[in-house]
Parts: sequence; C-alpha cells; structure tokens
Amino acid sequence: MRWAAAVAVLAMMGLLVLATVGLFPRGPIPEWEAPTLAYGARNAVAAIVLGSRLWDTLMEVLVYAMAMLGVRMGMRTLPELSSSRPQVAETPLLLKAADILIGVVLVFSLYLAASGHLGPGGGFPAGAILGSGLLLLALAKGADRLAEELYEPTLEGLEYGAVAVLIALGAATLLLGVRGQIPLVAANLFIGLEVAIGAWVVLHRFVSHRGEI
Amino acid sequence: MEGLTAALMAIALAGLGLWTLIRRRNAIWKLLGLNVASGGSILFLVGVAHRPEARPPILGMGPGPAADPLPQALVLTAIVIHFATLALSLVYVIFLTERRHTQDVPRLERPRRRK
Amino acid sequence: MTFIVVCVITFGLAVFALTRRRLLWGVLGVGAHSLALAGVYLYLAAPDVALTEAAVGFALVTFVYLLALRRTGRLVVAATESPPLLYTENDGIAGLEWELLKRFGRWLHRDVEVLWVPRSEIPRLLLSGEAELAVGGFIPGEEDHRLQFTKPHVPTRMVRLESPGHEGPVLAVRGDRAADHLPRGGHAVDGAEELEDALQAGTAGGAVVDALRLWIWRLRGVGTSMDVHSVEEDLGYCMAVAPENEELYESLEAFLYELAAEGELERLVQRFLG
Repeated sequence: MRWAAAVAVLAMMGLLVLATVGLFPRGPIPEWEAPTLAYGARNAVAAIVLGSRLWDTLMEVLVYAMAMLGVRMGMRTLPELSSSRPQVAETPLLLKAADILIGVVLVFSLYLAASGHLGPGGGFPAGAILGSGLLLLALAKGADRLAEELYEPTLEGLEYGAVAVLIALGAATLLLGVRGQIPLVAANLFIGLEVAIGAWVVLHRFVSHRGEI
Repeated sequence: MEGLTAALMAIALAGLGLWTLIRRRNAIWKLLGLNVASGGSILFLVGVAHRPEARPPILGMGPGPAADPLPQALVLTAIVIHFATLALSLVYVIFLTERRHTQDVPRLERPRRRK
Repeated sequence: MTFIVVCVITFGLAVFALTRRRLLWGVLGVGAHSLALAGVYLYLAAPDVALTEAAVGFALVTFVYLLALRRTGRLVVAATESPPLLYTENDGIAGLEWELLKRFGRWLHRDVEVLWVPRSEIPRLLLSGEAELAVGGFIPGEEDHRLQFTKPHVPTRMVRLESPGHEGPVLAVRGDRAADHLPRGGHAVDGAEELEDALQAGTAGGAVVDALRLWIWRLRGVGTSMDVHSVEEDLGYCMAVAPENEELYESLEAFLYELAAEGELERLVQRFLG
C-alpha cells in the first residue's frame, strides 16, 4: 500500500515536471501599461483584481463571508468554555507593546489598503494585517474583554454592509463603466475591512470555545 | 531560470504535501499537508509568471521587463480563500474531536459499533 | 545565487515540518515555511503575493491551527497511592491505572491532574466537585453509594489477615470497603502505609485489605506469617465519577469498552500485574 502511494505520487510529479519544462523559457507578456492606466491604477495586479477580473474578486469576497458565517454557525453548536477557568496572566511587557503597536498596525494596514493601487499591497494583505493586530490586542488584553469592547452585532453589520457596498461598487464598475482612482481606493478599503472582521470572528469563536493560548 | 527553479520546487512541495496527506493518520496532519501542497501550487503559478530579470509589474518600479501580472492576481485571492476554507475545515475537525473523541481518520471511517 | 539558497531553505523547512512527531512542531514549521515562501515570492517579482502570503499564511493560519490543537482543560483526578495500580515513582506517576488515565486524558483532549488524598476524602471531593474522577485501587464501599462507578477493570477480592496469636486490633483503611468488614474491636486508620507500619511493628493483630495490597505486602515481606481468610469475593477495582457528571461517565464507559474490545486492557493488565 505504501509503495503504491509512493509510486503514484512520484508518477504525478514526473508528469508535472514533463509538462513544466515545455513551458519554459516563457514568451514576452502582452502590453500591460496602457490598460493599467485606463483602470486608474499604477499597480497592474490591483488593476486586474479590481478591474478586468472584478467578478472573481466579488465572488471571493462572498465566499469569504460565507466561510465566516459557517464558522459562526458551526461554533454555535459547540459548548462554550465556562468562565471559571483562570485567565492567562497579563504581563506588563505585552500590554505596553500592544498599546504601542496597535496604532502602528492600524495606520500601516490603512496605508496598505489606500495605496494598493499605486504600489504593492491592496485590500487583502491590509485586512490580514489588521486581523493580526486584533489578535495581538486579544493576546494582551484577553479575548473576552476585547470581545465585549468590540460589540458583536455592530461587527456583523459592518461585515455584511461591506459586502453589500462591494457588490454595489462592482455593479457600478462592470455595468456603468465607472473607472478612476476613487472606486479602487474605496473597494480596497472595504475589502480590508471585511477580511479583518472575518479574521477576528474566527479568532474570537475559536478562543471562546477552546480557551486562550 | 529562476522561474523554472521555482516551478520545479513547487512540484516537489506538491508531492511532499500529497504524501503527507496520504500517509499521516491524524486529521490535522492531513490538513497541514494540504496547506503545503496548496502553497506549492501557488508557487507554481507565480513561478510561471516570472520573466528573466523581471521587476514587479508596477508602473514606475524601474526599467526592464515586468513579470506577468495575471497569475499573480489569480493567486492573490486564492491565498485568502485558502485561509477561510482552512478555518471552516478546522471547525469541522474540532466538532469531530468533541463528538467522536478522536482525530484518527481510519478510526473515524470505521462504521460505529452499536452497543 | 541567493535565490537558490532561499529555495533550499524553504523546501528544507517544509520537509522538517512534515516529518515531526509532535503536531505542535509541525504547525510551527509550516508557519516558518510560509514566511520563507513569502521571501521566495519577493525574489520572483511578486510583492503583492508576498505581502499577502506573509500576513495570512504566517500569522493567521498558524494561530488558527494552534487554537485547534489546544486542549480544552484539565481533568482533576483524586487518587490514593496503591501500587501497582497507581503510585509515584521518582518524579512521575506510574502504574496500570495511570496508563488508563493518560490515555483517557488524550481521548478527552484534557490534561490529567492528580490529587493525592487519603481514601476517606474521596467521596467528599467528588461530591463537592473539586475532583471529577477517583482512582487508585478503588473498591466501592458503604460511604460511596452516591457516586457513579464504572465496570471493574481488574477483578479482586477482599481478604483478612490475622496473626496467629490474635493480639492487637484488626485494622483497615478508613473509607475503604474493607472498613465495612472490620470485626468487633477493629478500627480504621488513615492510610495503607500506617497499616503496613502497624503490622511490621506488631501493634496490629491483623488487617482487612484487598488482594493486590496483600500481594505487594508479600513482595515486601510484610505479613508473611499471618493467616489469610477470604472475606469477600467477586469484587473489582473500578473508577468513580461524581454524581451529576453524566457526560464524563459515559465517555469513560465508552473509553473502557473500546479498550477492552481491542484487547488493550488485557495487554496492560498482563504488563503490570503479570
């Protein structure tokens, strides 16, 4: 059984290698600078993600929101931890570091989102970084306290509202042909907001069920 | 030739991940193998996008040919989707752990005894 | 050239991560591998992809795995020292019932914490909720009628030792079922060690103990000159669960049933009791 699996994996790898060496050396890429500028961006990847492949991005946002909904519903059926367990001791070093860093993380993620169409970045890494920043804050302050401060229904409303705004922007771009820098920046910001809130929801649900690390 | 090296390493990673997926018994090890294999597939696409002596496909980032922006745009959303599906599958694994008290996949697949 | 080095580092980290035994090392290794992969993407002129991979694959994915791996809590077990079922050895704990407890803890994804208490304390601890499980050569007695018991995993019987001259009182451990069989004039002591000391010193005329305790004493040369009378047959060592804890009781029963069905219980009994 083991040898059969090894032979199968090696055969698959061999086939892929055979296919790959035929691909190289790669030919030149088509003209990309003019279409990028036509979408109002200087970053070709952002112009593709939010411009010519906007359908993919909208569906991705929808899938992400559905996955987060699934996590919420799935964790609802599992028992929550009783609060009589002792919490992780808060060290002053972590508190101080979190206090200083959360501002930096917030500004950096906003910068990444807002300048995604001009340089590397965009909504997706910005949202992920903001989610990690919220994770840092949860490690320092305790996830339960942070969950009380971030009022859950507001967050849910914000997440689904961001999805709705993105769909509206997508419709405007695809159907009405709206181009320019402002729709790009707005789309990036809302994508970042949605990814960050989704990451926080996963984090919070997991911690409240499994206990802090 | 960096693209070719990256593509070959991507195939190696995919093979490694697939091997882990097949051989390990624990459900979380299988998910880890899948993680590495999908990292391999993403690396493959990015390697194919690379051109010799290329620079990032951003206007104003220096002279020379640019890398292909299309595969990079494709994998960008794929990475975030991968995280979302990973979170969902881990919810399922946690559920299984609570109910069936085991993460051993062959044992989970055995039909349950009726006591 | 540095590109080749970074590639080798990335692949080496992946191999390292997926060949570990402990799941924790595997998760951390895959996290490090993601970071190195982000470096490779930078070399391949893909800064957006590199940023996203570093932010998502390194921070969020690793954390989500760690949370899924975490054990949800402690299982507090009240125990009495009773070699060879459960005893402390150097710094750790050993014995047949310790093996069962370890496996049960892994089954439940909880850490096992053992409280060493005298036998008479066990009903009180279980009823007050300070402990959830009780083990340690446990045979249910009069005092324990409110607790739940599992099916016995090792059969045993109760014997009474009497020194030929019948001098001195007959002793038993307080709270144990043995104490229910004390003849007139006998009294209970707090622990099995006191019992042993009394027998060796000669202040006791006899003792009521279970069969395994007798076996251990024989191995140590205690009570070899005494007569043995069987007091009760068809008993068994079992585990006690606190009364309202239905879930734990059912999990424990399911665990023991599966252990017995696989033959693992037999093997463990052979290994420890010979």
